[in-house]
Amino acid sequence: MHEILIAVAIILLISMSVGLIRIVIGPTPADRMMAAQLLGTSGIGVLALLAPALGVPALMDVALIFALLAAVSVAAFTRRRVGQDRP
Amino acid sequence: MTTTEAPAPSASVIARRLVSLHGLTRLVLFAGFWLVFAGNDPQSWIIGAPAVLLASWTAERLSRRRGRDVTLGGLLRYIPFFLWESILGGTDVAKRVMRPEVDIAPGLIEYKIRLTEPGARVFFLDSISLLPGTLSADYRDGIAYVHALDADEDLLDPLRRLELRVADLFGERLGGEPDA
Amino acid sequence: MNILLDLLSVLLILAGAFFFIAGTVGLLRLPDLFTRLHALTKADNLGLGLIMLGCVRFAPDGLYIAKMLLLWLLIMASGATASHLIAKRALRGDGEDY
Repeated sequence: MHEILIAVAIILLISMSVGLIRIVIGPTPADRMMAAQLLGTSGIGVLALLAPALGVPALMDVALIFALLAAVSVAAFTRRRVGQDRP
Repeated sequence: MTTTEAPAPSASVIARRLVSLHGLTRLVLFAGFWLVFAGNDPQSWIIGAPAVLLASWTAERLSRRRGRDVTLGGLLRYIPFFLWESILGGTDVAKRVMRPEVDIAPGLIEYKIRLTEPGARVFFLDSISLLPGTLSADYRDGIAYVHALDADEDLLDPLRRLELRVADLFGERLGGEPDA
Repeated sequence: MNILLDLLSVLLILAGAFFFIAGTVGLLRLPDLFTRLHALTKADNLGLGLIMLGCVRFAPDGLYIAKMLLLWLLIMASGATASHLIAKRALRGDGEDY
């Protein structure tokens, strides 16, 4: 049973890595941000599978941090404005 | 996304609100969160109790409206609807992208929101994004700008039905003309 | 009975993985920012929900299940809000990339 969980986790990791192509090809920063979002959601999926497979329930807390960081990073990203850094 | 601007309430007002039924519900909710996150180790409450109090205080301070809350009956009616619609939404988008030729006709439509409660409006906007084929893209002056994967489909009907559901959830009665 | 439950879990988890893959395919194949947001929010939220439902069987206690549920709700709320913010930023053209 645990082998199946790990196998699916690997499938998710591959899917996630393929999705990261979006970060390379862009074209806008928003597209890259979305790929980072995908990383967050898939990462949580992977952790949810690994927690029972490896017998480490605390991985769920790691997933929680992922979720919080994803939420904050998008909010921060969309608040940036043109020329904001210039005095 | 949408908050009606008003001056922040004073400390005594917040304190009074905290002991109201609404404030106590919130306190119980945050305590429940702590229990879920930290586990049922009694010692964790040394940090947990102040954190829960602080969170309740902050929530009361930030909520500048005294509006309707979600009703329990409305929630019980909304959850099955929501789950079913998210399954449809996910399957719909998966089917469209898995075809040899991506099956979309994107477009932007405007929808005039009839809900008046700010909280209900935000909830409605977030829910739009889970309906099959629709995504709330912008919100200005009571108009929701909805991006559609297939703008040729009739989307007004599903949006109206969703709005009615959200109104039911918040115990609100929709006024005005049902047009877009 | 146990085998049936195991089978159900595996089916749910595989279905979840399918939606994650659909999300990635959508992110890569769809032509513009808005349509990609559709794929990302809807497919990934559903995928994560199914995987977590499949993992309920392996939860050590009830609190663990509650934690998964809260995590899913958080992801859905933040995902829907994030897609709204990104779409709004693109529509209004007030981000730094314009």
